Amino acid sequence: MSSSQIPNLLSSRGGPRSRGRGRGRGGSTQLSAASRRDLSIQATDTDAAVSRLSAVSMGYLDDPFAPFFVNGQGTRRLPIINRGTYARTNALDILIDAFLSPSSQEPELKQIVSLGAGTDTRYFRLRAQNRHHNVIYHEFDFPAVCAAKCHIVESNKSLSRDETIARAETVAPINTGSPGIAEAEWQLLRSVKDRSGGMEAGYICHPLDLRELPSIPGLSSFRGLKADLPTLIISECCLCYLEVDVAKDVLKWFTDRIPSIGVILYEPIGVDDAFGQMMVENLATRGIVMPTVQRYKALEDQLGRLKELGFGGDGGSTNAITIENIWEEWITTEERERVDGLEGLDEVEEWQMLARHYAVVWGERGSYGWETWRNLQQQTNPR
Amino acid sequence: MSDLDRAIAQLRACRPIPEAQVRELCHKARELLIEEGNVVTVTAPVTICGDIHGQFHDLMELFRVGGDVPDTNYLFMGDFVDRGFYSLESFLLLLCLKVRYPDRMTLIRGNHESRQITTVYGFYDECLRKYGSANVWRYCCEVFDYLALGAIVLGASSTLEPSKKSSTEPNSLNSTQEYIDSDIEIEVLGNDDNVISRFPRKKPNSGALSKGNSSSPAPAKTGPPGSGASGYSGGTTGNSSGAVLCVHGGLSPLVDTVDKIRLLDRKQEVPHEGAMCDLLWSDPDEIDGWGLSPRGAGFLFGADIVKVFNHANDLSMIARAHQLVMEGFKEMFDNSIVTVWSAPNYCYRCGNVAAILELGEDGSGDGIISRSNGDVGRSDGGIMKEKERVLQRGPARRYRVFQAAPQDSRGMPAAGKKPVADYFL
Repeated sequence: MSSSQIPNLLSSRGGPRSRGRGRGRGGSTQLSAASRRDLSIQATDTDAAVSRLSAVSMGYLDDPFAPFFVNGQGTRRLPIINRGTYARTNALDILIDAFLSPSSQEPELKQIVSLGAGTDTRYFRLRAQNRHHNVIYHEFDFPAVCAAKCHIVESNKSLSRDETIARAETVAPINTGSPGIAEAEWQLLRSVKDRSGGMEAGYICHPLDLRELPSIPGLSSFRGLKADLPTLIISECCLCYLEVDVAKDVLKWFTDRIPSIGVILYEPIGVDDAFGQMMVENLATRGIVMPTVQRYKALEDQLGRLKELGFGGDGGSTNAITIENIWEEWITTEERERVDGLEGLDEVEEWQMLARHYAVVWGERGSYGWETWRNLQQQTNPR
Repeated sequence: MSDLDRAIAQLRACRPIPEAQVRELCHKARELLIEEGNVVTVTAPVTICGDIHGQFHDLMELFRVGGDVPDTNYLFMGDFVDRGFYSLESFLLLLCLKVRYPDRMTLIRGNHESRQITTVYGFYDECLRKYGSANVWRYCCEVFDYLALGAIVLGASSTLEPSKKSSTEPNSLNSTQEYIDSDIEIEVLGNDDNVISRFPRKKPNSGALSKGNSSSPAPAKTGPPGSGASGYSGGTTGNSSGAVLCVHGGLSPLVDTVDKIRLLDRKQEVPHEGAMCDLLWSDPDEIDGWGLSPRGAGFLFGADIVKVFNHANDLSMIARAHQLVMEGFKEMFDNSIVTVWSAPNYCYRCGNVAAILELGEDGSGDGIISRSNGDVGRSDGGIMKEKERVLQRGPARRYRVFQAAPQDSRGMPAAGKKPVADYFL
């Protein structure tokens, strides 16, 4: 409701000079319709960052890193939005924690690939919990977004902590196939655990317009991206902004190259009813179009989407649940009472409607690296 | 033109009035409201409206559909403010109309007419934004404290009069006599008075007569076309009285008679618990007895509670608001309670239609018996169930269903900006 007043963080901080100071709307007549659309999509990250900070400052979530990614004080969101942000974040935390939980017979090192990560703070949160040692964390986003994030991390010691920021120019160049974007790549280096004094990349931010991914030859085009690690792809409202075929090709690019692989998607569903149609209409006026939601309308469609990509094979599974059910079934009664007590929520019908229109969909395939994740599935699907 | 008429004209154009004028208006309104009881008596004809929530342009649409003030007698069941972008203009306009036409405008309090809630849900911020200080918010909150908690509608007709426009349509009933002959109890009208559905009154459910005639030809769907609506409203067998209690939320376990509402000390901020809180916060639900509300205030109450309460108080029906219903209205529990929702496309996001409820004037003499309250000799609700019900006719109801005002009529002040609803992105 108030997001129109929120400055676009990424366009005002460290974005490419050529884009001027466009705030996505008005005054940017020199931009093509296509780049305006791209800016609208990039602005969704600002929106998400503001929602995250709102949920943090109201006590829903604990994330000391959220304030760094919002200009100024941020905006207080309505209780249903805060609750939704809370439920979504918790759902992903639960799944990712299960993926990262160590299991004796499994290979130690794992890999997370977060698509359209934007200003997401998950890596910093994992590091704060000391859970980052066994994971290589990759983020992909538009070059402007990656550059802005780098700038923010560089200027706040509590984001880099004891890790070393390495920008592309300080490390050996890598052939990305798109020379213009290489300069925005950056990583956080940590000491390797064997006390040799060596450094390894624990976090790597890859600047890339994901629509270009299908034409990039292989994993070796991206620093540190490995085929032999159990890999979890995360798309929190990212692939939904791509054309259906492109979104599929992006996932297929990874599944073709990484044998043991899982995915978590978070995106809207149910666009056929009155609420869903209004959502599509409202977002269109903000320049936001979500092609995949027109194709994958129900949970079953989303499950079919994963199966078509081979998820569920090799003893794997595919799963889908709405945010409404996550709130009711995944969040403990005590936690729900605590959260309910934060603001009071006088929007019960609206909450149910909103929460029914967002889903978390996940699945995996592969013979190693998924033991704890599969245990979780048995817990979350007791029947 | 008086200052008040000028203020009304300015507010109708969706322009706020100066702070000094708000102060004066609120002062006058309080003087008026302080004279009203906790439960206002309203005589039919009356048009009953649910939540508005600052959707000013949709309120204008409501007046277009329902008729202008003072031609139409209105009863608004609270939640004028919060959520929408024009809480201030919406509430002040309603308040101006209340002061200008006190007998044609009844405003009762919703749970959003509260200091605490308005600081979370937008009205406070809106006042601050539009006036640069919280003074206007403070004046309005002082008025909130004086709003009545409920209303009793008396003298509603058990038959419908033809709607003005529908009488010109070919498939329409053209006279009051035809409505009586067809025994129409509920009529749902859409745009331009198009009849969406009509429901004849249910026949008595006992004796040989009803056996061959048990199913009334009521359509399965009541919502407007395309809304996927399935609001339940079959016909009803009446209750022993025709009065309709209007309240924002619902009933309270602490209130078994309307007179108990009259005894409350209402002139205060909405408390976190207790009878006054429940009246503004509770919801009907498909349960037996009372249940905990997911809203954290008020209670859930089942059909048994409503039936006992209505019987004990000689009510034919309870009309309430408070809950979004996609079809604009929803009758529950054998038509003993109805939810009326008057904010179309709620929060510019929900895609719902809105409705208002018209109760006609009983001019024919065969209408319902009117009593405002009556705990006399009816304190034992348990015995009631054993008694043979006397068949009485409840009020005939006309629901007018309407959509959100078209975007281009909104005349958004900030360079044609459309409202922005929050989503997860």
